[in-house]
Amino acid sequence: MRLRRTKLYLPGNNPNMLLRGHLFGSDGVILDLEDAVALSEKDTARILIQQVLKRGEFGECEVTVRINGMDTDLWRQDIEAVVPFGVHGVRVPKVENPGDMQLLDEALSEIEDKAGIAQGSTLIFCLLETALGIHRAYDIASSTKRIAGICPGGEDLTADLHTSRSDSGVELVGPRRMVVLAAHAAGVCALDTVFSRITDEEGLREETEFVKQLGFEGKSVIHPNQIPIIHSVFTPTEKEIDKAKRIVAAAKDAAKRGLGAVQVDGKMVDRPVVKRAEFTLQRAGITQEEVQ
Amino acid sequence: MKTTSAGTIESMDCLVTVSEGSPGSGVTVAITGSSAARFSTAMKKTVLATAQELACSGDMTIAVQDNGALDLVLAARTKAAVLRFTGGAA
Repeated sequence: MRLRRTKLYLPGNNPNMLLRGHLFGSDGVILDLEDAVALSEKDTARILIQQVLKRGEFGECEVTVRINGMDTDLWRQDIEAVVPFGVHGVRVPKVENPGDMQLLDEALSEIEDKAGIAQGSTLIFCLLETALGIHRAYDIASSTKRIAGICPGGEDLTADLHTSRSDSGVELVGPRRMVVLAAHAAGVCALDTVFSRITDEEGLREETEFVKQLGFEGKSVIHPNQIPIIHSVFTPTEKEIDKAKRIVAAAKDAAKRGLGAVQVDGKMVDRPVVKRAEFTLQRAGITQEEVQ
Repeated sequence: MKTTSAGTIESMDCLVTVSEGSPGSGVTVAITGSSAARFSTAMKKTVLATAQELACSGDMTIAVQDNGALDLVLAARTKAAVLRFTGGAA
């Protein structure tokens, strides 16, 4: 399982950030061809990102490119410029229509075929930035096998909801719950939106704890300083890891002996608890084989 | 005179400007900026190789104002400026 605790946005026309961004330790980077690039510079940003993909280094980061929306005439040029050169996926803004994702799927397949890349290997991450997009979250998340994650919007979504961003984030509670439900029902990642108050570390921690509790698996990031805070929230503690190991080991032992029930620390644990323990170990980067 | 450019003079970037050259001059390259004194030969080579990849056959001057751009950034900015000059697609 790939960790997606943090995905750092990098402006697509900024060589300094594009070349150094992965060094900040996020699980993924998003090379941005949309909002971070002026309309007059889309061509130069495409070429720069293409060169960086061809010759740059990203370490273990999952590399995605935020393309321009399907409601523009730019998205096709964006994917043609970047997909042949080694991206893990594309992030699509303002998704509202499952049919658009099928169209994108077909376009990606054509490019993969021409470039000799395995069909279906380019993932799609959808930004749901309107009320309609949130309302259709499950249909979008299950529209093609390429969809790997969905993410609620922040500013655009609150504007579409005729409200504004508050410190408590109450206006996004409903959409976030809908995204989590839709994502897990469709079997894709639920990824949260950015926290825009970059100097408010405590606020970021509180929001991250809240979205983790809702069922999100990570957040988008707009400043490198946010990465360690989010990682610390999403990374299990030693105590949690230890308990999870004992649960998984007991479950394995019970399965070997043909027993259905599992007992750990004097308590009976059932399948959902085992599943949660397995997920804790995945988050900690521990494989099932490593658990005795 | 037709002139196009791409890039910036921010750190790790360069500004590449393409303009019409005098008849028969072919592609000429001029490098200025932070790395020019030490790396102008290598930088010229990158610029010319990029122009060649784009099959530039006309007379043009490519001026690079560098601020510590890596080779791949120089190639990207050159490609963008030349395509803007020739009207090619990115």
